Amino acid sequence: MSKFIASLVAATMLVPAAAHAEGTIEVLHHWVSQSEVDALNVIRKDLETKGFQWKDSAVGGMSGANAQQALRSRLTSGDPPGAMQFLGWEGPQWAEQGVVRDLNDLAKAGGWREALPPQLLTFVTSGEAFIAAPINMHRQNWVWANKKIFDEAGIAVPKTWADLIAAGKKLKEKGVTPVAMGDEPWQIGIIFDALLSDLNGPEFYKKAAIDLDPAALNSPEMVKVFDTLREVRGLVDANFVGRDWAVATGMVINGEAAMQFMGDWAKGEFLAKGLKPNTDFYCFATPAKVTSFQYVIDSFGMFTVKDETVQKAQVALAETIMDPKVQKGFNLIKGSIPARTDVSVDDFDDCAKLGFNERAEAIKAGSMLGAMTHGFAAKPEFASVFGDVAAQFFVGNMSSEDAVKMLVEGIDNAR
Amino acid sequence: MNAAKSFSSRLAGWLPRIVVAPSLLVVIVTVYLFILWTGVISFTSSKFVPVYDFVGLEQFVRLWATPRWHTAVANLFIFSALFLLLSTGIGLLMAILLDQNIRSEGFLRAVYLYPMALSFIVTGTAWKWIMNPGLGIQKVVNDLGWTGFTFDWITDPNMAIYTVVIAGVWQSSGFAMAIFLAGLRGIDNSVIKAAQIEGASLPLIYRQIIIPMLRPAMLSVIVLLSYIAIKSFDLVLALTNGGPGSATELPSTFMFSATFRRNQMGVGAASAIMMLMTVAAIIIPYLYSELRERNNG
Repeated sequence: MSKFIASLVAATMLVPAAAHAEGTIEVLHHWVSQSEVDALNVIRKDLETKGFQWKDSAVGGMSGANAQQALRSRLTSGDPPGAMQFLGWEGPQWAEQGVVRDLNDLAKAGGWREALPPQLLTFVTSGEAFIAAPINMHRQNWVWANKKIFDEAGIAVPKTWADLIAAGKKLKEKGVTPVAMGDEPWQIGIIFDALLSDLNGPEFYKKAAIDLDPAALNSPEMVKVFDTLREVRGLVDANFVGRDWAVATGMVINGEAAMQFMGDWAKGEFLAKGLKPNTDFYCFATPAKVTSFQYVIDSFGMFTVKDETVQKAQVALAETIMDPKVQKGFNLIKGSIPARTDVSVDDFDDCAKLGFNERAEAIKAGSMLGAMTHGFAAKPEFASVFGDVAAQFFVGNMSSEDAVKMLVEGIDNAR
Repeated sequence: MNAAKSFSSRLAGWLPRIVVAPSLLVVIVTVYLFILWTGVISFTSSKFVPVYDFVGLEQFVRLWATPRWHTAVANLFIFSALFLLLSTGIGLLMAILLDQNIRSEGFLRAVYLYPMALSFIVTGTAWKWIMNPGLGIQKVVNDLGWTGFTFDWITDPNMAIYTVVIAGVWQSSGFAMAIFLAGLRGIDNSVIKAAQIEGASLPLIYRQIIIPMLRPAMLSVIVLLSYIAIKSFDLVLALTNGGPGSATELPSTFMFSATFRRNQMGVGAASAIMMLMTVAAIIIPYLYSELRERNNG
C-alpha cells in the first residue's frame, strides 16, 4: 500500500516521469540560479562528448528540502533518478537504506581516495562503499569586506575576534554599519560555527559540533561563544530582519556596510559587479589562532537501477565529475574550489587561491572542519538545535548561560 | 420486460452511489488513509525515512519537550484568537456599513474583497516590506518629520506574531465581509420595518435583531477562518520565515521543518496529529450542532 501512496504523491509532485532513452541519465538537483546552471553545463557538455545525455530534473527551493521530498517519493515508488545531488548527511543516510550504488571500483581505478581531503570521506563513503562523487568545495568561514571603508577608517585585516569587534565599534561611530547580515538562522549559524572553532580551537569544535559531547556543550567555552555572538549582534543594523544574504552582500559592495560573514558563494556577487579581490574588496578567513577551513561540498550519488544503459551512464557521469579538467571548469564558474586537492588553481582568483592554500594548511593542522550550518557536522536533528538556539539568542535578550542551558536540553531531547 | 424494468430501476437506485464512488475513493485514500498513516508514523522512531518499529508515545514526549513547539502552540492561540476576532469584527462592521444602500457599492465590495484574491505569499512579502522599519511605515513617518515614531514589531521576537495577525486580518476581513453581506441581504426587510415602527433605534435593531439573525453566516465565517488560522503556513513563511529566531513559528511550519528539514519525521507526524486534534476540537462540536439542528428541523 505504501508503494501505491508514494506513486500517488509522485504523480502530484510535478516530477517528470523518468524516460530512460539510450544512454540518458536523469539527474535530480536543486541548482537553479544562473551561475549554478552555467557550472552544471560544464559537466553536461563533457558527458555529451562521451555520448551520454543529461536529463535535467531541477527542483529548486527550501535549500534542497523540496528536492529531498521529490526524491523520497521517487524512491518509495521504485523509480529513482539516475543520480542525485547530495548535501551533508543525505548521501550516507540514503546509503544506509541500501538504495545507493557502490562506486568503489571506479574510485579505486581513479585514485579518488588519494585525491580527496580525508575529512571529506565521511560524506562520500558508507562503510567500505564509495557512494558519491564530490564536485566542489565551498568554504563557509569567510569575511568579505569593503576595501575603501577599511582604508578610510584605517582598519587592517583583523587578526582576532577582539580586533574585529573593536574595528566594528570604530566603524559604527563613523556611521557605517559594521556587519551586513540577515536574521535567517543559517546566516547567524555561519558566525556561530566560526566562533566555535576560532575562539576555542578545532578540537573543541569537533567535540561540540560533531561528537555532541555534553561536557563541551555545557562549558564556559560555550558561554564565551555566546558572549562574543552578542557583541557581533551589536555590530548589525536594526533592519536585518528578513534580509536575504545576497542583499547583505550588496550592502558591502555599495559601501553601506563594511563586512559580511558568508561562504564563498558571496564572491560571485562581487565578481558580477566587476570588482577585484584585494583591489576593491578583501576576503579573509574569520580570525583565529588556528585558521580553520569550514567546508561545504556538493556531491552526486548514483541510485541502484536495473536499466543497463542508465548504469553505463552513471559510470560516465561519475568519471566526468571526478575529472580534474571538469572540476576546474565547473569551479571557475561556481565560485568554489575543486574537491580534488590535485587540481591546479593557477587560473583562479586571489580568494580561491587563498582558500586553496589555507585548505592545505588546515588539512595538516587538523582544522579542516565540516560546516555545521550546512549539514556537514552533526546530523540535521542536532544541527537544527544549534541553529534554533543561536538564532533565538541573536534576535532576543537571552543570557549566554540560558542559551547554553537551552542548547544542552535541546540536544538531549533530540538524541 | 419485467426483468429489464427491474434492472433499470435497480440501476437508478445505485446510480448516485456509483457516481459518488470515485471521488469518495480518492478522498478516502488521499485524505483519511494518509491521516491514518501519519498517526502510525507518530508512534514509530522514524527519522530520515519511515520505519515501522513502534516506540509508543516517545515522539509525543519529545515533541512536548521541544521549546519551539511550545512557541508554536502559544502562537497558534494568539494568532487564531486575534485573527478570528478582528477579521470577524472588521468584516461585520464593513458589511453593515456597506449595507446602508450607499452609492457604487459594487465597486467598494470589490475593493474590500480584493485582498482575498491574493495568495498569502504575496500578502506576506508585501507586508514584510511595509513593516520593515528601514523601508516601510516607520521610515515614511520618520521622513515626514515625526522622528521618534517606531514601528519595529517585525524585528522584535515578542511582537512579531502580531505582524502576522495584521497581515492575516488584512487579507481575510474582506472575505468575512462578503459572507456577512450575503447574510444581511437574506434578512427580510419587513422585520426591520416592524421594529422601526415599534420605535427601535438602528443600533438597537442591529444588536437585538439583525446580528442574532446572522448566526449561520457567523458560524460559517468562524469555521472557515479557523481552518485558515490552523493551516496558515505560507503567510508566516513569506512574512517572517518563522523568525526572528523562532518567534513566529506555528504548528504547521514546525511540522514541515521537522519532517522535511530536520530528519524528525516521527516528531513531525506527532505534531500533525496534535494539529488534527485541535481541528477536531473545533469541527466536531460544530458538526454535532449542525446535525442536531437538522434533526430538530
